[in-house]
Amino acid sequence: MTTQATAVDMLSRPRKEPWAWLNVWSIGTVLIAAAVTVPIVAVLAIALTPGDDIWSHLASTVLPLYISTTLQLMIGVGVGTLIIGVGTAWLVSTCRFPGKRIFEWAMLLPMAMPAYVIAYVYTDILEYAGPVQGLLRDVFGWTLKREYWFPEIRSLGGAVSMMTLVLYPYVYLLSRAAFMEQSVCVLEASRMLGRGPWRSFFSVALPLARPAIVIGTSLVLMETLNDFGTVDFFAVSTFTLGIYDVWLNMNNIAGAAQLAGLLLFFVVFLVLAERFARRKQRFHHTTSKYKALPGYELRGWARLLAILGCALPVVFGFVLPAVVLGGYAVIHFEAAANAEVFRYAGNSVLLSGLAAALALAIGIFMAYGVRLRKQKIVTFMARFASLGYAVPGSVLAVGVLVSLGALDNGIDGFMRGTFGISTGLLFSGTIAAVTFGYLVRFLALSFGTVEASLAKVTPSMDGASRSLGHGPLSTLRRIHLPLIRAGMLTAAMLVFVDSMKELPMTVILRPFNFHTLATYVHQYASDEQLGEASLAALAIVGFGILPVIVLSFAITRSRPGHSSGRTMEGQLS
Amino acid sequence: MKGLHVVGVSHAYGDKQVLDNASLMIPAGEVVCLLGPSGSGKTTLLRLAGGLERLQKGRIAIDDEIVADKDTHVEPEHRGIGLMFQDYALFPHLSIIDNVTFGLFGQTKDQAHRRAMDMLDQVGMTRHATSYPHMLSGGQQQRVALARALAPEPKVLLLDEPFSGLDTNMRGQIREQTLSVLKASGVATVMVTHDPEEAMFMADRIKILGANGRILQAGRPHEIYYHPRHEFVAKLFGLMNRFEGVVKGGCVEIPIGKIRAKGMGEGRKVEVLVRPEGVILESDSGEGSGGGTPVEVISTHLLGHDNIVRVRLTEKAGDENGKELYVRIHHTFEPELSKRITAAVDPEYAFIFPMDDLDDTAGDGHTPSARSEAAQ
Repeated sequence: MTTQATAVDMLSRPRKEPWAWLNVWSIGTVLIAAAVTVPIVAVLAIALTPGDDIWSHLASTVLPLYISTTLQLMIGVGVGTLIIGVGTAWLVSTCRFPGKRIFEWAMLLPMAMPAYVIAYVYTDILEYAGPVQGLLRDVFGWTLKREYWFPEIRSLGGAVSMMTLVLYPYVYLLSRAAFMEQSVCVLEASRMLGRGPWRSFFSVALPLARPAIVIGTSLVLMETLNDFGTVDFFAVSTFTLGIYDVWLNMNNIAGAAQLAGLLLFFVVFLVLAERFARRKQRFHHTTSKYKALPGYELRGWARLLAILGCALPVVFGFVLPAVVLGGYAVIHFEAAANAEVFRYAGNSVLLSGLAAALALAIGIFMAYGVRLRKQKIVTFMARFASLGYAVPGSVLAVGVLVSLGALDNGIDGFMRGTFGISTGLLFSGTIAAVTFGYLVRFLALSFGTVEASLAKVTPSMDGASRSLGHGPLSTLRRIHLPLIRAGMLTAAMLVFVDSMKELPMTVILRPFNFHTLATYVHQYASDEQLGEASLAALAIVGFGILPVIVLSFAITRSRPGHSSGRTMEGQLS
Repeated sequence: MKGLHVVGVSHAYGDKQVLDNASLMIPAGEVVCLLGPSGSGKTTLLRLAGGLERLQKGRIAIDDEIVADKDTHVEPEHRGIGLMFQDYALFPHLSIIDNVTFGLFGQTKDQAHRRAMDMLDQVGMTRHATSYPHMLSGGQQQRVALARALAPEPKVLLLDEPFSGLDTNMRGQIREQTLSVLKASGVATVMVTHDPEEAMFMADRIKILGANGRILQAGRPHEIYYHPRHEFVAKLFGLMNRFEGVVKGGCVEIPIGKIRAKGMGEGRKVEVLVRPEGVILESDSGEGSGGGTPVEVISTHLLGHDNIVRVRLTEKAGDENGKELYVRIHHTFEPELSKRITAAVDPEYAFIFPMDDLDDTAGDGHTPSARSEAAQ
């Protein structure tokens, strides 16, 4: 042994690497992740810095209202999406009734509708001057508003309904996957032991699917907190709206940031719930014996109720609003199809495309960086950078504004001090700021999707390529990228579509007088000119259908025991 | 020295030590098998040699150049090693010929193509050059993977369980072919396996890795089988008959005979392991000539080329009366009920290990074990 050791001691040493972990991929991943988390950190920093007396002022005036309204909204939407999502998922995955095959994917359609779009549509239909009340008045001969009772759509209840209608697909998607994955054996064993279908559902299927349901619901609640268009239009004083109010109307950025910081605590709770459920999910498979669920044949009333139960959410969440918008688009075509709309559509495509391309490139870089070296710091930073999806757009917007403002001031100060030139605001209020905002919020979509596709490439592929003389970059280009092409397409599409629909950040971060389809629709619809905005709204919905189609394919392809659609399900938020 | 040189490598995943001061030296042209149970760090040793894992302690050199020590890490693409994975890791989006040319640099397309076709020819796969991996059977994929790994003429070839994905019928044939390709290429080869028979067949030398990540014994297949220096090594090749005894007069007495215990102190408690083929059964014609211990047959099992017979010690066995033994016999064994059957030990297949050896410091050559000899 000793002779061997000395022999080796005398050998040549090609290169020293005292800082072996410091390679392009690790540093790049850590730096990008740090940059992406700056806005969140900035909000937290301001929120925790004792500033003016804004806290006590807020606390004594609007804060209790914001908190109670936000909680009511969350509870309402949470319960609503749970009932519709879990109920319909259970029906289509364990019962047999006419139309089941169609409902399996059609239940997802409302996902394509941004909440603010159906809020405009339903307001248009259900308000005093709208067709529904008009019809009622004609039929019953009422003339005045106080002669009859009709629910006010522009209310908390209205906001809950709108969001429930478009957000339940998250719960549906995840609980359906969970029900499909439950082995028949468990359910059959339950029935053998004398439990009926209903008791089997509550005592076996539901508890087993609980982690998936928790994940779906937390995604729904994150979206609820994120919403700005609906609550703004309905004037429901949630946190998100409060942030805009304090900021734009009171012109108090510190106050807005402090509200945003408080809102973050709601989010932390949701993220923890989601993470906890995901961890639990892994231990929930008892046997691996799968076969197509036989399904209870529903008859008579039960069959009719099942069809209605599945049809109503789709009709109200998608079909009806889409038809109304289509009708408006036809009637108001002249006004709707103006040159402006096309320019705004161009802006939307440009911004979303930019965000999608960047998010994809960075997502690939980070996912590959994590794959190359399983270093704690790299993995942790990548996870941390993916938190943006949980943070409401309004909070992120404040964070982006504050941090880019600081950057601009820093550069300006430096340039003036060094060269005597004032650069002014370089990034604030530019397309770059909006794109950065999208990136922070949607990076998790591309990172998660790319990471999931990369995980399907066995590590021995890397080893084989490396041992055959190809470096990390060449390996990525020649092996991984060709193998994950579908995943890359999905990742880019998800970011593109979500950026397209994004409203709260775009409103705050966009350059002056700059419109995207979303801000245009929001502005016109808020002015009760839905007709003019109908084409733009339809365009947003049209893009929103893309991921629904992909998911539908995944669903129709996935049979019990196969879960080809799952990589995306977890990512959608 | 040409070849792979691993010195004093230790490795742990968290708290779990998978390699403990392991050393290897594989000269060019030699095939060395790392044999050990799963979780013993065999694959880790391969990954360290290949540069897929960072070295924690020790040194690795290839052809006299250090590729890994405490402040060196040559990336796998610069090591000049060939790696073959358990799942073959053929690139699914590339054709067979593109897979094989993947590692060929610094030559014209034409040269690379010719070299690749030459390699495919050696493994008998030229017909499938334009196919894609998913169109091939497991055995065919294995051969392509071998051709791909050898095409760039690596200095060292690392094989991770290369035959575990194949069914038993094909395994023998592919093993033979692989061995001849390896020998023809003259590359230093390390092969990881958990199948002792496979190691015996392929290896010039075998290294046995214990569950604690230590190399328990190294040697030629013959030595490993006939001179196990560690209880663990002896048990690798299957069922053993185990006895306990005390060294008395330089011998250990077990119910089926007396075995000389060389190098064991008087009065030392020992265990004796006897391979099933080390128990000799004889039909006693009545005169008691064989001097074996009488046994009764419980059952016989035909395994193909040989039989496993279970017998029970009947008389004369003292404390061990009623103990069951496994016996492997090459001819068909049909016990005649009327006749007495006796069992005796063939000392060539009996191994003695001390039992009071509590500290488990079994490195190469340190095991205080003894080569048994028949007591006359």
